[in-house]
Amino acid sequence: MSPILSVRGLAKHFGGVAAVQGVDLDLPAGLITALVGPNGAGKTTLFNLITGAVEADTGRVMLAGTELARRTPARMARLGVARSFQDLRLFQSMSVQANVLTAIEPHAWFWQPGGRRAHARRLQATEMALAETGLSALADALAAELAYAERKFLSLARILATGAQIWLLDEPASGLDPASRARFSALLRKHAGQGVAICLVEHNLDIVSALADRIVFLDQGRKLAEGEPQAILRDPALAAIYFGERRA
Amino acid sequence: MSAYLLNLAELGTIFALLSLSLNVLIGYGGIFSVAHAVFFGVGAYAGAQIALHLAPDVLLAALGGGLAAGVLSFALALPALRVRGEYFVVASLGLQMVATTVFTEAQGITGGYGGLVGIPPPSLFGLDISSPRLFLSVCIAILLAVMAGVHALMRGSFGRSLMAVRDSESAAEAFGKIVPILKTLAVVLGCIIAGAAGGLFALQMSFVNVESFTLDQSVLIMAMVIIGGVGTLLGPLLGTALLLLLPAALSFLPGIPPTELGAVQQGIYGLAMTLLMIFRPGGIAGRAEGRR
Repeated sequence: MSPILSVRGLAKHFGGVAAVQGVDLDLPAGLITALVGPNGAGKTTLFNLITGAVEADTGRVMLAGTELARRTPARMARLGVARSFQDLRLFQSMSVQANVLTAIEPHAWFWQPGGRRAHARRLQATEMALAETGLSALADALAAELAYAERKFLSLARILATGAQIWLLDEPASGLDPASRARFSALLRKHAGQGVAICLVEHNLDIVSALADRIVFLDQGRKLAEGEPQAILRDPALAAIYFGERRA
Repeated sequence: MSAYLLNLAELGTIFALLSLSLNVLIGYGGIFSVAHAVFFGVGAYAGAQIALHLAPDVLLAALGGGLAAGVLSFALALPALRVRGEYFVVASLGLQMVATTVFTEAQGITGGYGGLVGIPPPSLFGLDISSPRLFLSVCIAILLAVMAGVHALMRGSFGRSLMAVRDSESAAEAFGKIVPILKTLAVVLGCIIAGAAGGLFALQMSFVNVESFTLDQSVLIMAMVIIGGVGTLLGPLLGTALLLLLPAALSFLPGIPPTELGAVQQGIYGLAMTLLMIFRPGGIAGRAEGRR
């Protein structure tokens, strides 16, 4: 399957620390790719480099074969790359509905283009995203007042309402109870089935093995391995690195 | 209504407009500026010059003051907003100090320390509105119109985007918002309103000088917004009423010598702000904590 997002030779140094070293990554449509590795492996930094939140030293990012030279988070969002954050970064003082609506409103000066009809379409997309994530009853609640699992689902609702075709999710299911985790996984699987390319950073290997189609293993900013989940997770050398027993 | 109360009501209305304007920056944009009196001052000097050399028309002074403050804020916001949070506060403090010096030294425009005097009584489309009741009515009408405009903007996508930036810049960017543009728009909008308030202030006082546009004034405006309730429509009005009425009320209290009124007032402001930050950080009109 041809990738819709490709990364070639992406690298970033922070002072003397090599956070990401020449990483290649392909995200094919319809597949869930998990980035796995110990703390400090460069997983979140890789997301930051792809979205332009942090400027890469070297390397290329291609979207459907077109190289994206000057990346900014806002531009990447407009191109259909959506991301979530480990600490969620919800719009805390806003309602659940406003969180989602704001996420899907294009950047504008004072007023949105398209008038009431476009606004009605966005409201409909918001309602659908909230229904899908089980948050409809909480539409008017403040994001800051939500329980932990609800906050996680709101983070996902913002992304799925955008209609983005590439999702970069940073520890999306961490801390969820088993029932919520199953519901969360089903949602990701459903959207991958509809052609979304999903890349997730996840420390919970049970979630990774249940959900991921492919695993990319990172350590100290380098890609050490890539392949089927069972093959990667059964590799004793990678397991030793992951659990901090041995370095490559 | 006595002349004293009418005068207080006029000032209250103008300061309500001013605190409403700072609320656009602080309350909705999360942009803390301690230089708001500068833009109030620029508007006041512009309004005074218009009244002195063109016509003392209220709308002309308000529009001219708003335009002057808006242009200046646009020029300053673009570079200043590149810095984050606390650095912007320091940058605005620097601006306040520079502006106070400029207001004092640029005698050709501001009249220097002596200020601009002899501003003619206000008019509206050629009609004399120098009667306090008429002037107050016009100021209230302008305040209500601005409140309605700000309310409409903040309930719409601009307000949502701005509040998203305030809550999490990185998340707002990740959803396509161009943060520097949104922040610049918020600053320019807030400063246009502050400049318009300055234009009205010049006509109300018929005299302006630098003492009305110092750091103390900027802190007072900020206190009005924070005590009233940041990010709310009515908060700045409540804060203004409270902080303008407080000195008047204190002057009627027995046992406080007139020479100590200023110190007592400062002490009460400080205590009120500290208590509010502990028990009700959202201000009087803001949401109470502990509802999670």
